[in-house]
Amino acid sequence: MSYTLRGRIDSRLSSALVAVLAACVLAAAVHEWWPVELAGLMLGIGLALDVLVYDRLFEYQPGWAALPLGALELVLVLTAAREASVHAPLWPALGFYAGAWLVAQALGHAAFPLLRLSYADDGGELGRAGPSAAALTAATFAAAGGIAWANLPPTVHLSAGVHQGPLVITKRENLVGERGAIVRGGIVVHADGVTVKNVATSGGRYGIEVEDADRVVLDHVTVTGASMDGIHVRRAQVTIKDCTVSSPPGYTQGIDLSFNIDKGTSMIEGCTVVGGQHGIFVDSTNADVMGNRVSATTYRAISMTEMAMGMIGGNEITGAVGAGIECNDRSECMVEHNRISGMSADPTTDDLTRKGWGIISNFGSNTELSGNVFVGNARGLGAFTGGFFSRP
Amino acid sequence: MNRDESVAIVGGGLSSLVAYATLRYGGLEPAEIAVFGDAADPASTFRRQAEAIRQRTMRSESDGHCLPTSFPGLAVREARRRRSIVPLVRSVCDRYRPPLELFLEHVEDVRRRSGWDESFRAHRVERVGAVDGGFALEGHGVFRHVLLATGHAGLALPDELADDMRVVHAYEPHEYAEEVTVVGAGMAAATEWLNALAAGSRVISVRRREPIRRPLNVERAFFTRRGLARFQRSGRTERVAMLRRFNEPSYPPGRTWDEPLECAAAAGRFRIEPSVNGSPQVICATGFARGWQHDPLLAELVRTAGLDTELGWIVVADDCTVPELTDETRTLALAGVSAQWAYPAADTLVGAKYAARGFLRRVRACRTR
Repeated sequence: MSYTLRGRIDSRLSSALVAVLAACVLAAAVHEWWPVELAGLMLGIGLALDVLVYDRLFEYQPGWAALPLGALELVLVLTAAREASVHAPLWPALGFYAGAWLVAQALGHAAFPLLRLSYADDGGELGRAGPSAAALTAATFAAAGGIAWANLPPTVHLSAGVHQGPLVITKRENLVGERGAIVRGGIVVHADGVTVKNVATSGGRYGIEVEDADRVVLDHVTVTGASMDGIHVRRAQVTIKDCTVSSPPGYTQGIDLSFNIDKGTSMIEGCTVVGGQHGIFVDSTNADVMGNRVSATTYRAISMTEMAMGMIGGNEITGAVGAGIECNDRSECMVEHNRISGMSADPTTDDLTRKGWGIISNFGSNTELSGNVFVGNARGLGAFTGGFFSRP
Repeated sequence: MNRDESVAIVGGGLSSLVAYATLRYGGLEPAEIAVFGDAADPASTFRRQAEAIRQRTMRSESDGHCLPTSFPGLAVREARRRRSIVPLVRSVCDRYRPPLELFLEHVEDVRRRSGWDESFRAHRVERVGAVDGGFALEGHGVFRHVLLATGHAGLALPDELADDMRVVHAYEPHEYAEEVTVVGAGMAAATEWLNALAAGSRVISVRRREPIRRPLNVERAFFTRRGLARFQRSGRTERVAMLRRFNEPSYPPGRTWDEPLECAAAAGRFRIEPSVNGSPQVICATGFARGWQHDPLLAELVRTAGLDTELGWIVVADDCTVPELTDETRTLALAGVSAQWAYPAADTLVGAKYAARGFLRRVRACRTR
């Protein structure tokens, strides 16, 4: 077909209408917005390519070109989805894209020519049906956007000053603290889609506890003086970014994510963790630990254990006792570009794993190393009881 | 004339069948349409010429069919029949050439399903006259809307060979002598080179210019509005130049054509010469007479109605209607090769569809139909 520019746009928008409607139905079924967001990205990228590339490049577009162009658009859509933080699960997203592509092919090759006699002569233009389809597509997106806006979680503002906790959150909401807002006794999150931002906690057993909840975001939170874990996550999926956790001496941990292996990948990013036995502890969880600063821990600065899986990258670990990074108990860890300095041995024990190692791989774990920097540590790499190191 | 008839198609060939099927698709009943032609079988001329040249596949692709909608094409038809996706795959790769037999079956199918025989009248119309409320067709009454699909105006023979007893046109029945001179350089000539070689003949190709190798006569963009808009915006000189370029002799590239010729040339059985020599048989693969001047009906119409022309082309509107004789109440349109001024590939089945769709739009828009 030799498409005109309008023909491309008419055909694209009319085909997209089916995908957009399907996305709305799917979104309602799975209670997620990613199908609609994905459909929006697919349409936006497709239209941009139509106007900026395809129309100029293709005087004539043979049928087979739909395959490589579809693959190109898929790559761009996946990249854009990643950049725009569209939380679409990979295989369902690929399935949705493939379905939309097939529908578009069926419409372009069969349905449109049957519905409009001159479809081919007109270079893919659909006459008055074209603008109608565009309007319907826009209206569908507007309706979906309206529903999304209407369903935005409420934002609760926490005023400056000390509030007596524990503060228990059982519904989806954004808790945003003003400068100086402190909750004494901790915060407990028991609902999906909660965001806690710019809030400090002091004291309590756990500074912030997240349990049985998905898509929880802890953003710029500060935790001090928790008697056990600064941030304590169980059976949940969280994104923790730019936090500050300070743990008192004793049997304490900065951040503990445990038993979330089936909950998707969590993220701990840009946090400053000081003190405690473990700084960041990831147990039976898929998580990425990226760009954090961990210091003054007394057992392991960062530990990934019990069949956990994830990346430990770009972290700065200083002045810890025992070990800097541990990959333990049949875990799979990618340890890259960390800077580990000043590890010292624990003089109170004969435990070989606590002799000031930079990185240890323990009990059948695979620790994949790349680009790590070691400065002034008692020991460098240590492998124990079947743990081993590998290169990417 | 039947009292219901308001639409006439002059010509009984494939373009007429396409137009008829399109009108029927558009809601007209057989009783509203009269088709005038020499033979009830719309493929009779095509079949005779294809048999003469021993054509086995169409040069056109999946879209080269007689249905009003472009889908389903012949590739879909063949895929269904063979229970194979190969024709579809070849079609999306622009490598599909429908078998002639499949095409002729399809023509018969469209003829039967459309009700063609109900509207067909075995009569050759030789004069069309513009009258109040429509067009008079030689004693058959007055029709508001008339489509002239008279086809090619006859076979073309070089003047210097017109009286040569050795000459046969490629589209006339013939066998092959021991040595054959083939005049021409287009698709028919290339087909005849291979036919004669396959029959065991020595072949001499006489050509005025080297053939162009391209899949279709007309570039693909000119089949749709993308290229057409440019073509239809062009001035007369530019348009004539484009049409001449499209009419230059050509045949598709590919090993199917090249290998037998290379083998034959190596064996001394194929050569090129500048002029006709003493071969016992001369096959003129020189196509058809071009231009309205060669078609008595069109020539008369141009003369009596003072139609605008440019060399051999009648200057028609973009929808293939004749502007001097078309208004809100009546339509005179051309289809087939005579509509090339509006659609460069008018002599193809896709071109016939283009003209038919334009004609249907006019008929539908006319309140007094």
